[in-house]
Amino acid sequence: MDSGYKQERFQQLLIRWVLVVMPTIAIGYITLRFLNFSYTSLNTGIVSQTVYFSLGLLLAYSLYYYGARWIVSFIILWLLYLLVERMINRLPGEFDVFYATARFQLYSTLFIFGWVFGFLLVRVRWAYLILFGVLTTVTLVSTSNTIDISLSYILLHLSPVVVYGLYMLFLSPLLTERIEIDFKRSGKFFIRVGLFALLILLAFFITERLFTGDLKAVEKELAARGAKGKNNQDGSNKDDGYDDRNGLMDKTDDGYRLKDTMRVNSKMSQSDKLMFCSRLDNYFPDGSPAPLYFVFHYLTRYDREKESFTRDVNVPSFDEIEVDPAKIPMYYSYIDTSVIRKSMANKLRKVTEAQVYLSENTWKHAVLGPSSVFSVQTIPVEKDFQKTFLSAYKIYSFTSELNNAYFVYNISASPMLEKIQEQRHDELRNVNDYRFVNKKFVDYYTDYPSGGIYDSIAKLALSLRSKASKPVDKVIAVRDFFLKRNENGKRIFRYTLKAGAVDDPNIPSSKMLYDFLFKTHAGYCTYYAGASLFMLRALGVPTRFTTGFATINRSDKNKGWYWFYASQAHAWTQVYFPGYGWLDFDMTIGNEDQQSAPKPDGTPPLPPPEPWLVLNAKAESVSKEKKQLDASFGSLIYFNSPYLLNKTFTRPIDASLCRVLYNKRDTTFAAIKPGDSLIIVSYKDEAKKIPQPVAGVSIESQVEKFPTPIIADEIHIRGKDKEAKKDGKTGKTLKQQEKKMTWQEIGWLAAKISSGIILLLLLFPMLYLAYRLIRVTFAREGTTKADHVYRAALYRLHMAGLERESETPLEYAQAKVDPFLATTFEEFMRTYLRLKYAQGNLRAEDHEIIKRFSSNAGPAIRRKNGLIKTTLNYFNLLRAIRYFQRPQSTDNETISL
Amino acid sequence: MNDSTTKLKTLTNNIETIIRGKPQEIKYVVAALLARGHILLEDNPGAGKTVLAKTLAQSISEGTIDFHSANGGVAFKRIQFTPDLLPMDLIGSHIYDESKKDFVFKKGPLFTHVLLADEINRASPKVQSALLECMAENQITAGETTFQLDKFFFTIATQNPIEMEGTYPLPAAQLDRFYMKISFGYVSDAVEFDIYSNYIAINNGKDTVKQVLTYNDIIHLQQEAEKVYIHPELVKGIVRIVQGTRNHQEIALGCSTRGGITFIKCLKAWALVNQRDYVIEDDLRTLAQPVLHHRMIFRNREASRTALHQVVDQEVNRLAKMGIQAKK
Repeated sequence: MDSGYKQERFQQLLIRWVLVVMPTIAIGYITLRFLNFSYTSLNTGIVSQTVYFSLGLLLAYSLYYYGARWIVSFIILWLLYLLVERMINRLPGEFDVFYATARFQLYSTLFIFGWVFGFLLVRVRWAYLILFGVLTTVTLVSTSNTIDISLSYILLHLSPVVVYGLYMLFLSPLLTERIEIDFKRSGKFFIRVGLFALLILLAFFITERLFTGDLKAVEKELAARGAKGKNNQDGSNKDDGYDDRNGLMDKTDDGYRLKDTMRVNSKMSQSDKLMFCSRLDNYFPDGSPAPLYFVFHYLTRYDREKESFTRDVNVPSFDEIEVDPAKIPMYYSYIDTSVIRKSMANKLRKVTEAQVYLSENTWKHAVLGPSSVFSVQTIPVEKDFQKTFLSAYKIYSFTSELNNAYFVYNISASPMLEKIQEQRHDELRNVNDYRFVNKKFVDYYTDYPSGGIYDSIAKLALSLRSKASKPVDKVIAVRDFFLKRNENGKRIFRYTLKAGAVDDPNIPSSKMLYDFLFKTHAGYCTYYAGASLFMLRALGVPTRFTTGFATINRSDKNKGWYWFYASQAHAWTQVYFPGYGWLDFDMTIGNEDQQSAPKPDGTPPLPPPEPWLVLNAKAESVSKEKKQLDASFGSLIYFNSPYLLNKTFTRPIDASLCRVLYNKRDTTFAAIKPGDSLIIVSYKDEAKKIPQPVAGVSIESQVEKFPTPIIADEIHIRGKDKEAKKDGKTGKTLKQQEKKMTWQEIGWLAAKISSGIILLLLLFPMLYLAYRLIRVTFAREGTTKADHVYRAALYRLHMAGLERESETPLEYAQAKVDPFLATTFEEFMRTYLRLKYAQGNLRAEDHEIIKRFSSNAGPAIRRKNGLIKTTLNYFNLLRAIRYFQRPQSTDNETISL
Repeated sequence: MNDSTTKLKTLTNNIETIIRGKPQEIKYVVAALLARGHILLEDNPGAGKTVLAKTLAQSISEGTIDFHSANGGVAFKRIQFTPDLLPMDLIGSHIYDESKKDFVFKKGPLFTHVLLADEINRASPKVQSALLECMAENQITAGETTFQLDKFFFTIATQNPIEMEGTYPLPAAQLDRFYMKISFGYVSDAVEFDIYSNYIAINNGKDTVKQVLTYNDIIHLQQEAEKVYIHPELVKGIVRIVQGTRNHQEIALGCSTRGGITFIKCLKAWALVNQRDYVIEDDLRTLAQPVLHHRMIFRNREASRTALHQVVDQEVNRLAKMGIQAKK
């Protein structure tokens, strides 16, 4: 008896291994897989992770099945953990202690997780609910980390957990009732489990069928909402300090951009928004930083009809680089050396490097930089600064040594600056006139309207000329005109944001300029720039209207770093000097009345590491477990030199320690799909064996010598096809939408799933009744029939409100059922118990008794409760749960010790 | 089967004419008798313990006559336990017989079929253990001689609640010898009214109680009880109950294996008393309290009331939900 009993108990354990532990291990494996896709720190091999998890699970399950005490076992486990940890820390030096410790931590965590799961499964009644919650959370967290998140994606990832949860829900009453499962007759049980699995599959199929349309609609709606949200953003922007009608900048999807056409209007708005920051490698000979204005666009033509300055495509020698930096692949350069030629300058020129980090507020589809930018290279933003800066690029510009941000502004700030100004003017006095310059060029840039107020402006300009004959002196004369003081020693011109006496912005701007010059003497940068442009052009000096950002050197703390806020949006004039090129001359007078508190400079972003190799590649195959991919590439940048290969190479890429970016934002390796086009970057690193470039050897043969696999440090996903079409829809707004959509989607999904589960749960009592009745109908006459009648009766009576408590079924029949329902339950019960426990066989009258009760029970309940109440009773979920609940177990008490 | 059913019905009906409103207790006593066990009745004085024992004995014997009475009845002896009682008062003693010039053994009251040991906890432990030894071994050792008792030896012991003064509580090991321990409790007011109306009958019970069964009938019924079928699932259930009491945290001393065996014997007898030749789950529930409860030591009073019920209810519920098992 004893050994037989033990053996039987062991058999029960085996069955539970199959039914409970195995599915839990499977779900653990799936969850770990998802986690591995999302988190690199777990990179220790999924199989070993699962092994540790299942080890803990199996061990704990078996131990607690045989009644181990949990406090004791947990203490032993903890001690063991401490011991092993000590041992690992004392490993001899040649072992990589850190690695061993990290691995140990991970494995022990997984082991303990498995252990706790095992413990819960044996000892806690609602363990599967806890497990379901934990697994769902983990899955949601790990899936939400992915970029191209969609409903179907979440569904796909969540479905194993849901199936597991339902499976355990189904299994729990069977297991918690501790129903003995006979090995010899276990086939029947397994068939039932299999049938249940089929049922779940069917349910999933139906749900999918029912909801697919729905889901699509939801997705569509979300997309629409996203678009609407964007519009709203535009609309609501009215009150954030910007006035679109009059500002220098337009609000776009991608932040603020300076206007292409500039009307001189009465009002200008200002804002404290950070636009971008830049490191500019430009210094005065004494080493102090020499800020340069950052040019956005040149407005060269005055449109008389619109009375505004506009951009013009048909400009002679137009020296503006025209490229959308957002479209340049990471680490690739766009070089337009024609800019250098077109700048028509050769004296005192140098190449200046600058790095520009654009914040979310800035329109990122045009290059911002000192004048004559000829090369743009996109660079990544360090992870810690991604919150502030969305994108960055490195620019090279062909800068004049004479150029700097100082002219009117800060003119008397320091003697050194004054001296530099004087030197510049002396140098420029070498230019006498524009005789040797292309006439068409000079004509274009000195184009000046005639008639009316334009003539009076010209007259005013000409009156200044008497003192000056050289171009630079004319410029200085105009400057001096603006700096003129009246007899009280007060400046005649002043700076104001509320320009002119006229509030109506629709008054022709020429009139406003006239008013500005002759009446009000008050305006902001566009007034000064516009007026000086008119005056200089009237004097025959080629001038253009420049929009961009004024560079302010606020502190020398981070030398060469400049911070640009929206209030620094600016307009000024550039004057052409033959041989020297276009130079900035900002005539705007500083605001003496009001000095707004200067903004503090932020922390400059770290420069990104130098790559030795940048591959413009396409992902051929992706192995998520190993974090490896095969990439084919036809072009690359090798030690900063771009190459186009004459054939396509395919190389394995090791991305295990790699940072993956999409839309310049961090994402996970799981986001890489085969077919994506990628920029794969590998840094110069001492630890790597980097093949140095060899002169005179073809790049193809050098590529052959690249290490295998190539260790990637960054992978930028470029080509999500659908994303590529949505050009210009990047940046913060999209990111926000994306994030919002993600959470909405998750919310929706959670609602769907939970409502599905609730529906299933609500219907469950009904379904179970149907199942029971079907079993009764189709049961073989005799014992089996009696059994099914008995089960159906117990269930129906329970659901009818006659709950059996601690009494035995016979007592229940005697005391509770028959007196209320006038059924023959007791008679049936006696027969049933005889069939169940006695040796004798079925008697003739038993059939009659079984049939009588069976046909009697249903109508009796309906008679008592009424049809409606009887039906409604089957939606009483709590009651149904009570039916399946096991009574207070003595096992449970060992938990509370 | 039918024969024994009628006999048992006659027996219980006969006792019920005297003991009113206690059919369950009567059945317990009869079941203990059929299980070849002994029973301990515990209650306050005057609840009818002694009357029940006497009535039972008289129903199956003619009276307090000989060891083997002439008409096939059984012998009935009654001992009133007192603190100054000595073992030899029960067993008997060697007395010098002058005619034979030798010591002869004079048998004590233990040499009987039905023994009513009244207020057993009033006697000293020495006496108690003497009684319990012969209950367990079915034999009496006096000096060098061992006397075998008749195979039908049924003790009905009564005791007052142990809280009362002047008692020597029976130790757990000795309580274990009793197959059942039941307590009487008071009857309902209707029954009590009925009793008062007919108290004369009780007073003269000796005259009114008829002998309905013979010695052979009892032996036959005991054999019948052994033949009662107990389903393996129920045996498994008993194992679980017994082990459950051992593992229960509120129970200091769980049920012994002897307790389990006794339980099975009692279940069979109980089934027979209820006119069945098979045991059902209800029996487990009904008998657990009288058969198992007194064998255990509980950690506190609350547990004493609930712990056993918990274990049994869980098991009975499991059995109730279990479907009909295929016959093996």
